[in-house]
Amino acid sequence: MIQFERFTLANGLRVLFHNEPSTPMAVANVLYDVGARDENPNQTGFAHLFEHLMFGGSKHIPDFDAPLQAAGGQSNAFTSNDITNYYDVLPAHNLDTALWLESDRMLSLAFTPKSLEVQRQVVIEEFKQRYLNQPYGDAWLHLRPLAYKKHPYRWATIGKNIEHIETATMDDVRAFFAQHYHPGNAILCIVGNFDLNFVKEKVDYYFGNIPGKEKIIRNLPQEPKQQRFRKKIISRKIPSDAFYYAFPMGGRMDASYYLADLLSDHIANEKTGLLYTELQRKKKLVSEITAYITGSLDNGLFVITGKLNPGRTFEQLDAALWQTLDKYTSRPISKSVLEELLLKMQTAKAFQDQGLLNRAMNLCFFELLGDAQFLNEEADHYARIQPAQLQHFAKAIFSKNRCSLLQIQAK
Amino acid sequence: MKNSHAQTGLDRTVAPPLLPIEHIQFVAPESSTLKNGAPLYWRYGLQNQTSKIELHFAAGSAFPDPLTASLCAGLLINGSKNRNAKQIQKALDSVGAYYDVSLGQDNCVVSLYALNSQLLKAYQIFHESLFEAQFAQKEIDQLVHERKQKFKIQAQKVNFLAQRLFQRNLLAGSVYAQQIQLKDFDRADRAAIQAFHVTHYLNGLQKVLLIGDFDQNIITSFIHLLNAYKMFEGKRLPFTWKPDLGAIHHEHPGALQSAVRIGRPLFNKTHPDFIAFSVLNTIFGDYFGSRLMSNIREDKGYTYGIGSHIVENQQFGYFVIGTEVGEASRTATFHEIQYEMERLQKELVPQEELELVKSYLLGQLLKSADGPYAMLDLFANVEVHGLDLHFYETYITEIKAVSAEKLQELAVKYLNWGEMLIISAG
Repeated sequence: MIQFERFTLANGLRVLFHNEPSTPMAVANVLYDVGARDENPNQTGFAHLFEHLMFGGSKHIPDFDAPLQAAGGQSNAFTSNDITNYYDVLPAHNLDTALWLESDRMLSLAFTPKSLEVQRQVVIEEFKQRYLNQPYGDAWLHLRPLAYKKHPYRWATIGKNIEHIETATMDDVRAFFAQHYHPGNAILCIVGNFDLNFVKEKVDYYFGNIPGKEKIIRNLPQEPKQQRFRKKIISRKIPSDAFYYAFPMGGRMDASYYLADLLSDHIANEKTGLLYTELQRKKKLVSEITAYITGSLDNGLFVITGKLNPGRTFEQLDAALWQTLDKYTSRPISKSVLEELLLKMQTAKAFQDQGLLNRAMNLCFFELLGDAQFLNEEADHYARIQPAQLQHFAKAIFSKNRCSLLQIQAK
Repeated sequence: MKNSHAQTGLDRTVAPPLLPIEHIQFVAPESSTLKNGAPLYWRYGLQNQTSKIELHFAAGSAFPDPLTASLCAGLLINGSKNRNAKQIQKALDSVGAYYDVSLGQDNCVVSLYALNSQLLKAYQIFHESLFEAQFAQKEIDQLVHERKQKFKIQAQKVNFLAQRLFQRNLLAGSVYAQQIQLKDFDRADRAAIQAFHVTHYLNGLQKVLLIGDFDQNIITSFIHLLNAYKMFEGKRLPFTWKPDLGAIHHEHPGALQSAVRIGRPLFNKTHPDFIAFSVLNTIFGDYFGSRLMSNIREDKGYTYGIGSHIVENQQFGYFVIGTEVGEASRTATFHEIQYEMERLQKELVPQEELELVKSYLLGQLLKSADGPYAMLDLFANVEVHGLDLHFYETYITEIKAVSAEKLQELAVKYLNWGEMLIISAG
């Protein structure tokens, strides 16, 4: 159970505070409700490029990182298809420094053509390092547009292609800031050994006079229900053939999210999961195989992915995979297996919750979902799952007509 | 919320006053000695139900045969006399436990994670698996096959290629230079794995780190089980090396970026220059505002990231710079790295930069000391070198005292471009 307090400033900034008396450190986490899904289809990769620019200095402070480092702290950020999240971890007695820095860049950035030019180059190198210069690195650049035809999840956070990043202009950058970076579009969470009144006073002092703006209501094209099987084959210089089966699932707030999460854990379980025992050990078709969910806010994907053994074909794997999934859905799992899965989840969660930063990020994320308190209710959602429900869900999701398959062939 | 009169006083151009870190408390774990002479360190006083046991075995890949060490580590939790691999895994699942086997050059560390009500049960399962390990031929064959496939994928990554080339040349003349090659997998030997298992695991337990709130009965049960390990009688050869310095480029056709490793032999925590050099290393390449990041990423945009590090082993240490850069910027990156080394040799680090890095390092130390898990890691990081927590008191004092002149002296001594091993793959 993670206790927290919540208050909102007049300008719309939502603030969460979690008191942790045992630590000398503090976390200030700022989540902005903007991700790659909010991008113009002709200007993809922008939310992420923008995240880089947020470290290039703000209106009154030329350098973001140096004052934080001088305070003994450090900072970083990440962008997903849904959100952009910034965090500062520093000794608690210097909390002011983090609030001063975060509030100034929420107020106004100091963009320079030089900073845009350099970060554009940095992001292009990131694109190469993570997506283009790695074996299988570009798989998701192909899988997304196969599985999504309308929804902006059809492009990756890094962008559809390098050209979109190369052509970003200063005007684009300014417009993006004006639209997405303001108190009403942000959630701040502070964790540390503080008193609530102290936190209220500090947050108001630094953030209180940032002008509020109307939050723009998001109106994204929703993905129509997939009716037919889709397949794409690409060839790359790689050592083993790889496959990605993607099945559409609900969004993060859909009740089926918990079923999908548990189902992926179960079939992908190390050494005992059905994918491993049937396809890797018994039939020796693959050298590795796993399953996971994307966990996105809007309708996500349930993915089964792996690599073929030498001499095995995609057709052999395909037949055996569907057979395995059929076998899985033919009977409900036992109550005791379900309990084991829940205990593992409970263990993993206890370890995750140890970290201050993790708690701060999670509180912000769940507040974005509607209420930070949801974080403390997650375990109950899992605990309520019945074997028959899981079976029913598996039957529904593993449908060939609603599957998108990417195959990467070794050249 | 009510408007605060304080708002009128906010001048955003003025940084809030900074407070120094007054004190960091370093807490040693409880310790006792197991029958085979290995220490058991135990930390309690957690804020939650988590727990962990970490077993350090003298079973690293530097013991003459890296393939045998690697396969043995991979098969540790893979069945016992009465239970096969799947049944052992199911037993661990039933107590909600996770494990991790991490093979280093000096040792192999097995970590088990569970809720504190389950950890002893999890360890009992691991214990059975370790002491009754079967190393069935079909399990060896399966693992060899999987490792081979993974190796082929790794061998496509410029980062992997550069790192291997760097280690092979830097650690030349020592057992640490040995590396598994693809063809080695075909000579996996069950008898060798079994022998390694006895010498380096059953007789190779070096220390145990335990963390969690347990009552004395549980601790006694752990000790009872851990007393089954025998004394280590394997031999570690005295460490010598003859680094092959110079520049090597490995051509990897079609690569969009080159992976770069530049470094030299250095030292570990036991050397008198270690702490002052840590400050120099941070300024040069080990934080976001470092000279390398500011120049090569934030000014030139040649890379997504670049950093320098001190890598420590039990018997030696080395200094290494790592990055991945676009093919077109490789030579320019080398020039800038050399320029930054020489700048530290020729010019004193400005006072403001030095103070910033000192505060940064102390803040990071405070973070590294935050909570029982972090504190036990801090302890283990010095214990491995035969030091104790006083090291960190000295660290704080020396960092506060180190001067720009001293750093320049160290740069002249250790950061000579001509004495570096320079590796690129791309």
